[in-house]
Amino acid sequence: MAQASMGNGTGGASSNRPGGAGQIGAVRSASAKSKDVRLANVSAAKAVADAIRTSLGPRGMDKMIQGARGDVLITNDGATILEKMRVEHPAAKMLVNLAQAQDVEAGDGTTTVVVLCGALLAASQRLLSMGIHATTISDAFQRASDKALEVIESMAVPVNLMDRAALIKAATTALSSKVVSQYASLLAPIAVDAVLRVAPPAALATAADAAAQTATAGADSRAASSVDLSNVRIIKKLGGTLEDTQLLPGLALTQRPVQTAGGPTRMTHARVALIQFCLSAPKTDIDNTVVVQDYASIDRVLREERQYTMQMCKRIKATGCNVLLVQKSILRDATNDLSLHFLAKMKIMVIRDVERDEVAFICKTLGCVPIAGLDTFTADKMAKVEVVEEVPLGGGDDKVVVFHSGTGAPLRTNSGDVTASATGVDGGAESGATTPTATAGPAAPSLPNHAARGDTVTVLVRGSNVLVLDEAERSLHDALCVARSLVRKRSIVPGGGAVEIEVSVRLGEYAASLPGTAAYCVRAYAEALETVPYTLAENAGLGPIQIVTELRRRHVQGERNTGISAKRSGAVADMLAEHVLQPTLVSTSAFSLATEAARMILKIDDIVMTR
Amino acid sequence: MTSLSIDGTRTSGSDVRAQNVTACLALANVVRSSLGPVGLDKMLVTEIGDVTVTNDGATILNLLEVTHPAAKVLVDLARQQDEEVGDGTTTVVLLAAELLRRGNDLVKTGVHPTSIIAGYKMAMKEACKYIRDDLSVPVERLGRDCLRNAARTALSSKVLGGEMADAFSNMAVDAVLATKSKRENAFGSGYTYPIKSINVLKCHGKSMRESALLSGYGINATRASRAMPEHVSNAKIACMDVDLRRAKLQMGVQMLVNNPNELNRMQERELDITRDRVQMVLKAGANVILTTKGIDDMALKYISDAGALAIRRVPKADLKRVAKATGATVVVSFADLSGEESFDAGLLGQAAEVTEEHIADTAYTFIRGCKAVKAATVLLRGPSEYMLDEMERSLHDALSIVKRTLESNAVVSGGGAVETGVSVFVENFATALGSREQLAVAEFAEALLVIPKTLAVNAALDATELLASLRTAHYVSQECVDEASALALLERLGGGAAVRREDLRHYGLDLSTVSISGGSRGRLRNNFAAGVLEPAVSKIKSIQLATEAAITILRIDDSIKITEATMPEEPES
Repeated sequence: MAQASMGNGTGGASSNRPGGAGQIGAVRSASAKSKDVRLANVSAAKAVADAIRTSLGPRGMDKMIQGARGDVLITNDGATILEKMRVEHPAAKMLVNLAQAQDVEAGDGTTTVVVLCGALLAASQRLLSMGIHATTISDAFQRASDKALEVIESMAVPVNLMDRAALIKAATTALSSKVVSQYASLLAPIAVDAVLRVAPPAALATAADAAAQTATAGADSRAASSVDLSNVRIIKKLGGTLEDTQLLPGLALTQRPVQTAGGPTRMTHARVALIQFCLSAPKTDIDNTVVVQDYASIDRVLREERQYTMQMCKRIKATGCNVLLVQKSILRDATNDLSLHFLAKMKIMVIRDVERDEVAFICKTLGCVPIAGLDTFTADKMAKVEVVEEVPLGGGDDKVVVFHSGTGAPLRTNSGDVTASATGVDGGAESGATTPTATAGPAAPSLPNHAARGDTVTVLVRGSNVLVLDEAERSLHDALCVARSLVRKRSIVPGGGAVEIEVSVRLGEYAASLPGTAAYCVRAYAEALETVPYTLAENAGLGPIQIVTELRRRHVQGERNTGISAKRSGAVADMLAEHVLQPTLVSTSAFSLATEAARMILKIDDIVMTR
Repeated sequence: MTSLSIDGTRTSGSDVRAQNVTACLALANVVRSSLGPVGLDKMLVTEIGDVTVTNDGATILNLLEVTHPAAKVLVDLARQQDEEVGDGTTTVVLLAAELLRRGNDLVKTGVHPTSIIAGYKMAMKEACKYIRDDLSVPVERLGRDCLRNAARTALSSKVLGGEMADAFSNMAVDAVLATKSKRENAFGSGYTYPIKSINVLKCHGKSMRESALLSGYGINATRASRAMPEHVSNAKIACMDVDLRRAKLQMGVQMLVNNPNELNRMQERELDITRDRVQMVLKAGANVILTTKGIDDMALKYISDAGALAIRRVPKADLKRVAKATGATVVVSFADLSGEESFDAGLLGQAAEVTEEHIADTAYTFIRGCKAVKAATVLLRGPSEYMLDEMERSLHDALSIVKRTLESNAVVSGGGAVETGVSVFVENFATALGSREQLAVAEFAEALLVIPKTLAVNAALDATELLASLRTAHYVSQECVDEASALALLERLGGGAAVRREDLRHYGLDLSTVSISGGSRGRLRNNFAAGVLEPAVSKIKSIQLATEAAITILRIDDSIKITEATMPEEPES
């Protein structure tokens, strides 16, 4: 099949055809052309879907992508694969965009949405070849999609945000398909806790009050139910294994305290300031020079530099600051030996090379204000933190700097002394949210203390190599998004293809009640949905036909939560009982996005190359 | 066929898997012959003619220019094992390649890769649990001998092995114990062994036998001037990160001289600044000055006049360690809080003596009797540079192993004992497993045997027969066969000696090169009693890491290679 690459050529050639052959000939060629263009588009888009269908589901495979510069990426994340794959065909690019849209909207299900869209396009190809008009197909797909969303809503099970276990199950499902799936039991609680920590108290409070009415949570005001994931900072530190990944309350930095002049590495009752100016004597511009005319001036020049630097350090000390974070500067040295020497003498801990994009997070977490110049360095811009210290990670030599409240250890160490249960729940906004959880039993965790104000958390990801670290970060991002979707729309649906089969069965019934061509199209839509469970079964090494027919039989009998379980070899099982859950938002968004993308591709009847 | 058009090439399915596995096997074959006490060395020559002779798996793989992305995963794997454990790098690569080969064969027979992956994971968990619970022996009741044995086992496969092993293992244990330091932070206190602070001096000449552990800290640098004393006792040491040469003004400052007298005075002033600094240090009582930067003749004169010893261009890492050992503070600037310059006597470190000694043709400076902490320096002697480099790598392995043993507190017996034991255990586990993963778990068990097999082959022994009796030994130790047949089996194995059944789990290959004439070589023995020990964490890690690497590669079913961008990318619509 070479339609994909032929698409452009055909379009260009026929539009250049001289019009001397008469009207009828031109019309015929136009309709033939639009057919060609459509087929080319559809098959290019299908090819994209085919390319990533093997990575769908918990037993999906990975792709290894070797970049132009020899960089290697091993991933299972649909959006990442498509982004790096650099497809050429414009219609194929639409599918890449589709995956990105799903990534933004729901964060998970990027592979599903592409596979779904590919299946819909395959169905439409058949319909087109039967002579049904593209617009008819498109409209019917829209109706089918609306109906599908209704079915999904009817399947949705409301979830209470207090029910941490349910959230973790959903996050585990999202992680189960990733390279890091064997650590899902560790990463899922981290993702859920992280999101719950940064969720605005209002969102959680409404959940607590109106726990009973969460079914209608979709109607909640947007403001109360959105979670800003930029409040969750993922830091990666090479070394250790994924098992050492942990959630830290507040802030942790991978930069080391500067030791050049022997400054402190631990500070209690810390007062932290973040400065954006340089602690070194100003250098002259290239054109300007300081002119020394007599020998006494040599001393003066040297003394001036000392005095200048010392005055800066003294003024900083005078404000009571004892931990100094210095933003990276490319203009001149953010710090020099002299200023570090003074600061070390004044027992001020210095952490430099703070990246520009870290500043916002640090400020939000600690509650400090970045200080742009010495003149504006005032005490009220600093943050109070009980303890700032450099702690070793595991048995290795890797260290991070943590900011914490001093009660209980902030980090798990390798020696096995897990401190999760040590800290009590602190006051403030979260206490209302966490107390009900605590009553759930001994399994419920008590969240670690906050370092300071600001509802932010840091996830410290450890991994043995860069490939694993990057993939863990992507997977964690998916899990965070899943947890966020649940805060936005508080309901879950069974995973493992249960939704697709159920929608397929119900749409089949719906098609039977429709008159005309639309019925045909809706039927095709319904059948296309079976591609998802089919692929899931195939990827899990099961007999796809057997599995899909069995699923359909069970759903027709009313067992609407039945899906494919990778956990049990028996394969077909009740997804709710198996704890394979996904947020409703992921499913609804996948259906509507896939349908819209398919409709859009269908409606294109010409490709014109412009400059 | 697919009509996907991408800017590059794409390989899918069994093709890509076969390619990956072939690449990994090729890599493993490079290091295969260097496994074990009788493994052989590789000579690696770079483009510019640098030569490295080694049998350290991680070093070999690092020096190879591997381009295949899947093979790179194996190189990473070896590096990781090297970082986390320090030894067993060859083992881990061989194991991963064997798992891949067997996994790929299973795929060819029609088993789905996901079932294989699930099986490998399952088997890996069981294997690690078995090592932890049943095979490992806590260190506490073993004491120093245990550490020495662990070090000796690590060294046995290296250039320092054989008859030298005893001396070097003792050296490694002493060196690591000397670095023992208390760690205290929020998580309570414990002991750490920062082996990075062990100083290794390589000195070309004499034989390996002359290598020694020296007390005190050795620096590969000498006094800056002949006029200075060679020996200073009751040393007060100033550690400086400051340039003691004629002071120069920074860029952007221009000297403009109108008057010839000024010129002279300006030059003098520049010299005076340094003179003042030197005198400040001497006045504070320093009689040894170490600096990472330079000292010029003028400053040297002041120092030698005062009878002090100065060393310039000391490597910064050395300076820091000396400062730590002697209790000195590294000085980066003389400035004090009044804006002037001063030097406080409290910044000085103390040591009983500082002497310059000649070893071969090179002079070294030794700092002995440091006030704050004991320091350890290992002096390596050897006939060639390559030998010295390889000795350093071997010693590093031994040091890491001692450190791990001290930290993890559990050891297992080596010589293929653990692998065989785990293999037998996992195989039984597979038989009891009634699901699709059974085949993969069984293959995992088989794959583990690659280690004893390669050990035997490298030692030119009959691998097939040895392996058979080794497996029997472990089978008897694990399975409840009836007493009579167990005794019969023991009879055959033990060669008449009374063998206790619980000792059988320590049975491994006897690969000792020393006892060739003794005749026990090429038989089985209780490796625990023989002192062939490895830290348990090393074995557990290598099984975990190898399995993870194999899974990473098996999971790949599509490989896309993007061609280099020739044109700037068009913005997406």
